[in-house]
Amino acid sequence: MVSSQLANRESMIFTLLAGNLAHGLLLGGVYGMATMGLSLIFGVINVVNVGHGQFIMVGAFITLTMFTALGLSPVVSIPVALILGMALGFFFFYTVMRRLIRAPELTTLLATFAIGILLEEIAKLIFGADFRGYNWGVGKITLPITTIPMSKVYAFIGSIVIALFLYFWLSKTRLGTTIRAVIEDNEGAKVCGVNVGWIYALSFAIGIGLTVMSGVLLTMFIPVGINPYMGGVYTLKAFVIAVLGGLTSPYGAFFAGLIFGLIENGAYTLFALIPGVAPFPLTISLAFWMLFFLLLVKPTGILGK
Amino acid sequence: MKNTISKYYPLIPVFIAYLIMFLIGFSVPGMWQMVALLAFYCALGQSWNIFMGMTGYVDFGYVTFIALGTYGMSLGISYLYHFEWLGIGIIFIGILLALFLASLSALLEAFIALRLRGAYFAIACIGINEGLRYFIEGAKLWGGSEGLIFSGALMQALGREVANQLTTFWADFSVFIIAALAAFLNMHYMRSKIGYALTAVREDEDAAKVMGINTTKYKTIAFLTSGLLGAGVGAMAWGLKLGYVYPGDVFVIHYTVEGIVVVLLGGAGTLMGPVVGGLIYGLSKYWLAIIMPGFQLLIFAPIIIIIIVAFPEGVIGLLKSRLRGTKYKMFIE
Repeated sequence: MVSSQLANRESMIFTLLAGNLAHGLLLGGVYGMATMGLSLIFGVINVVNVGHGQFIMVGAFITLTMFTALGLSPVVSIPVALILGMALGFFFFYTVMRRLIRAPELTTLLATFAIGILLEEIAKLIFGADFRGYNWGVGKITLPITTIPMSKVYAFIGSIVIALFLYFWLSKTRLGTTIRAVIEDNEGAKVCGVNVGWIYALSFAIGIGLTVMSGVLLTMFIPVGINPYMGGVYTLKAFVIAVLGGLTSPYGAFFAGLIFGLIENGAYTLFALIPGVAPFPLTISLAFWMLFFLLLVKPTGILGK
Repeated sequence: MKNTISKYYPLIPVFIAYLIMFLIGFSVPGMWQMVALLAFYCALGQSWNIFMGMTGYVDFGYVTFIALGTYGMSLGISYLYHFEWLGIGIIFIGILLALFLASLSALLEAFIALRLRGAYFAIACIGINEGLRYFIEGAKLWGGSEGLIFSGALMQALGREVANQLTTFWADFSVFIIAALAAFLNMHYMRSKIGYALTAVREDEDAAKVMGINTTKYKTIAFLTSGLLGAGVGAMAWGLKLGYVYPGDVFVIHYTVEGIVVVLLGGAGTLMGPVVGGLIYGLSKYWLAIIMPGFQLLIFAPIIIIIIVAFPEGVIGLLKSRLRGTKYKMFIE
């Protein structure tokens, strides 16, 4: 009797874990996509965008506004977010970042942090500080282990499509190869006649565009979590993922995102079994200890040389 | 002899500034809170400057030390208040705990994170800060996310009279002391072997190493000093003064950024910089909070960006280049 109950409990935990890992994989794809912009920007202009999460927040608000005010589905928001994000990217590049390309880390970190605060405060001014959300009812699929809303599946598919697009664009087109050349060696690229200044601007804008676009996909995972101050925690998660992926490699970031999503949800399920702890913060804290460990052991990332 | 004293001349304007601030706060009724706020920013900038200003390393997680300092004081009071024979001693135990926690984390960070450079170092520091915060919340350590509330405990241990005096006067007064101490240490390091070694690190760390400078040692000294002063500020200005601590309130990167802004406004790596920056930042923040409550950040964000882009060397940096070659030069550093 007791042993059958125990076996029952074990199988329940297993089902729970498997279900949460499935959700984690889907979320991980979006995390990965959300980090590609950070890695691209760091790779090209060597700036850590501390205001990264705030751009994700912008994407979330674009989706929310288009859905609730105009009745447009999030699919339409994806190109809109890309275009608006790139416009924001060009704006901040030419007003601020262009002057800080060779500046010490202190100034670039502070500048991007200030940009983040600015976005937060503007969003608060427009939308207020409440938590909001919307429900994109496109059905759900039932697996033996768990039920998954289709919106999450679409978000996952969307992130893979965008990641593939970026992959082909960076590896097959002339502009893409130029960007990779600048990441490798910007002096060398300059010698070969590359207009490095324009590549900086374009990469920054694309990085921000990708980030804002990932905000659209992320809204599928946070039914009532859209808020001007939602960005901070995603900045920090993006750091962990970017370091896991090697910091300068957008593809590395995507795979690292998948791994991170799995670890996060798996760890959450396991921490929830320990009595007397709060599993949610403990999971976030695990992410940072992981980051710390990685920076020490393998700062080049899991795919790095 | 004259040489030894004259190297500390630049401290004179700093100490005069602190003295004037203290006297204004002490004698003009209603000004004490504002002066305490200014002293807090000056102390924050001054302590942060010791490591960052001299080495060029960006410790974006500096607030960790302030937070741990706050926790040290809070733990001392919350867990020891029923030992009546300790009396006022619990404050000193609190300070010791604050310094202990901060030095523990500073040594750990120095041992591990200081091997990293540039952006990697900044990210590692942010990671430690957030990791600690969520660990305290997650493991329900030291009250978890509910924090510790100990103003009642303080009154019970020392009596209402003494507790009031401690929280309203001595807590702020000790921030002045810490600010002055930080200025002195800053000056002392600048004028000693440590300062030269750290400047070498800032200019070119690899070259400094090749020249035979034990860069790790000097970086650790500066890091530890900066962290301990930060812990002192936390223990006094947040722990003792407020009587409570929540992890979500103290491990906040905004405070690191405020420290950086103070230093940058005045001039990074200078002695007067944090004082001037602290005064400008503290006064404008206080004033904005009165005339436009709720909009301070909206106004500050573009100002920060403008300062970074247009005046990266800060007020003192500008002044220094103006006064070069005049007799006032020796007072400005």
